[in-house]
Amino acid sequence: MNVAAPDFDRSRKDAPPAPVLSILNYSLAYATERGPVDALKAIDLKIEKGETHGLVGESGSGKSSMAWSIMRYLPANAIEQAGAIRLAGEELLQCSQRDMADIRGQRISMVFQDPSTSLNPAMRLGDQVSEVLVAHRGLSRAEALEEAQAALARTGIARPADMLRRYPHEVSGGEKQRVVIATAFACAPQLIIFDEPTTALDVLTAHQILDLFNRLRDETQVSALYISHDLGLVSRVADTVSVLHKGTIVERGDIGEVFRSPRDAYTKRLIEAVPDPDRWIGADLPTETSPLLSLDEVGVRYTPVSFLDRWLGSDDGDENVFWGAKDVSLGIRKGELLGIVGESGSGKSTIAKVLSGLQDFTGALDFEGSRITARKQITRDYRRKVQIVFQHPDASLNPRQTVATILSRPLKLYGIVPRSGIAERIRQLLELVRLPADYANRLPHQLSGGEKQRVAIARAFAAEPDLVICDEITSALDVSVQATVAELLVKLQRETGAACIFITHDLNLIRQLAHRIAVMQRGRLVDLFDRADAMADDRHPYTKALLNAVPVLSSETSDSERLTP
Amino acid sequence: MRRTAIAPNAVIAILLLALIATVAIAGPWVAPYDPQAFFPMVRLQGPSAAHWLGTDEYGRDLLSRILNGAPETVLFGLFATVFGVGIGALIGVTAGVLGGWADNAIMRVLDGLLAVPDLLFTLLIVTVLGAGMGHAMLAVAIVFAPGMARIARSSVLSVRTRDYVRAAVARGESGAYVVMREVLPNALSPIIVESTIRVSFAIMIGATLGFLGLGAQPPSTEWGLMVSQGRQYMFSNPWCVAVPGISIALAALGFNLAGDALRDSLDPRGSRR
Repeated sequence: MNVAAPDFDRSRKDAPPAPVLSILNYSLAYATERGPVDALKAIDLKIEKGETHGLVGESGSGKSSMAWSIMRYLPANAIEQAGAIRLAGEELLQCSQRDMADIRGQRISMVFQDPSTSLNPAMRLGDQVSEVLVAHRGLSRAEALEEAQAALARTGIARPADMLRRYPHEVSGGEKQRVVIATAFACAPQLIIFDEPTTALDVLTAHQILDLFNRLRDETQVSALYISHDLGLVSRVADTVSVLHKGTIVERGDIGEVFRSPRDAYTKRLIEAVPDPDRWIGADLPTETSPLLSLDEVGVRYTPVSFLDRWLGSDDGDENVFWGAKDVSLGIRKGELLGIVGESGSGKSTIAKVLSGLQDFTGALDFEGSRITARKQITRDYRRKVQIVFQHPDASLNPRQTVATILSRPLKLYGIVPRSGIAERIRQLLELVRLPADYANRLPHQLSGGEKQRVAIARAFAAEPDLVICDEITSALDVSVQATVAELLVKLQRETGAACIFITHDLNLIRQLAHRIAVMQRGRLVDLFDRADAMADDRHPYTKALLNAVPVLSSETSDSERLTP
Repeated sequence: MRRTAIAPNAVIAILLLALIATVAIAGPWVAPYDPQAFFPMVRLQGPSAAHWLGTDEYGRDLLSRILNGAPETVLFGLFATVFGVGIGALIGVTAGVLGGWADNAIMRVLDGLLAVPDLLFTLLIVTVLGAGMGHAMLAVAIVFAPGMARIARSSVLSVRTRDYVRAAVARGESGAYVVMREVLPNALSPIIVESTIRVSFAIMIGATLGFLGLGAQPPSTEWGLMVSQGRQYMFSNPWCVAVPGISIALAALGFNLAGDALRDSLDPRGSRR
């Protein structure tokens, strides 16, 4: 690490106190087999006391590298080329690993994306919180536990003493993240780095965690670096923001100003890509309202029926049985886009599995005049007409098959085109999803995430379906890619007239696309409404809570609080 | 296409395997002497210009004996593994694909077999069938099968829940297509890696059986048998034991390193930081 630190030590005494974090002209590269790859280029960043600075960028922009540089926890192949990173005027680049061990946790702490992996599953939560207090403040174990209890109480956990005795698997994701945040605040650090702290959480929980963060920040006046890909979210917590694109900060400034009048082209594109519920991009509502497919009291029971119960013919009450979905009745009209929203575990993916014939169910499906009451009755004709696109494009394409093989499969299986016409049809399909024709010979790992998802969509439309089920197809993608995939889907819908079920947890996005929206909670359908009625007063309370929880990127309000509907 | 740089341990593995293969194929033809020819004047000698690796108690040339015994020792390991992997993978894939009670029944039986230590189990089978290379090979194959079945099954189970397999099922593909085209190609790499490493175990077990007199029989020059014959002259001429011993170790090491290198190159996530 031979970093030439520029001389900044001019007249220390008279100068105002150094900012909590200042990064000056910092560049970082990673050594790879093909030579060094730049990760961060000439970064300048300053965080004053009590300030929350948002660092926004898409995946691969270098935002996590930035966090690890500040924490001085870089992999062995990192090459720091130039610059300085200072914590309250102290140069971190010249600290030994031993010095950094004192600084980490005590003066800088970090909150990670996924609380279920950042907590040690083999340790009680109390020990994990008190560990830092024992290490950094020299408290005894008993004192530390007492302090830990107080720290948990501050995060709004109802019974902190109980919580201390539990193991991570015994508490919910939101509670885990509260514990992680309590640990981060425990030693009253000068700076806390948040690396996408709500991405792994449900909408409602994420909302609460953001409120908690805002409250704790006001109480403690801590400085924070808030890393996220979600502009709407950053606009609710940060005072200032930097936009990171391919390792370079392309725009920085006051949060309201950047969002109201972005100067850089990339920032503009990023802001435009954020779904705005009031900007309709969906296909025209079909005139025909006859149902294409309807679910009649469909249920999926995940608790198996025991031998004894089957033998006795008894039913062990509803409270002991876990239903993935229960009594769901719903109709999909021809050419319509129906949105299904809900938190994880609400049963929305279960419905997708039932409709695509991957899950046994009770109740019935009505499709083209025939009634299907069991998975085994689903015919190949039904399977052709109802296609599914999965969430993770990495997982839904066979890694050992080329794009051409993947796309040719439905064509051959259903005899859509004669064998001689397959190559030509593959070319057309690729054109349909706006991919170059020579992608046919590529393997999935040679494509980007968005491109893979286009291939998966092309595979679904290759079968010339009447209904396409899209199970969270945009949630694994970057914001700007998300928007183009959603637009592509609408375009295909317009051209083919296929109906679509779009499952998502992103309410802003679904209000741009769907004609009707169904809301699911704990396996039940709790609400179903036309898009225009989203803000109506007679919405189900759960729908209202979901709508309230999603941050809307509003350029009009500088305090970034969404206007109440 | 993706280019992967070759790691240093992969280079060592390739060099060792090349050496083993050359010796196993060409060994008997390039041997300087007849492996059974007695030279009573030069008994129990260390390396010399005439006998590069020394001689044994009858004055037989150790280098010639090693070269002559190479095919037997290495092929034993290869064939025993191929049989074992074949039987095991077939059982494991069947269990993984069928699932439910069939899977349970098959795996519980295999668990019972796995509970018996490898070498003990091999000895048991060879004792029942009688000593000899063929029986030893069969014994090793039978002993390897349950472990391989377990690996094949878990690999199939993890691939079976991937979305591309679900997509194929949702499309209405036949069971045979799903298993042969979607599941198996993606479930193979752990099986290949494990079987490469297993070859080294098989070579070791084969040599052990030869040493115990249950595998190769005199006048064979199988390496384990050579160690056993050299044992009583170990103090007058350590070369009698060291030469076949080190040969066994190198052969085992070669396959073991090759297994590790294969694992790194077949699993893109494993090699990425």
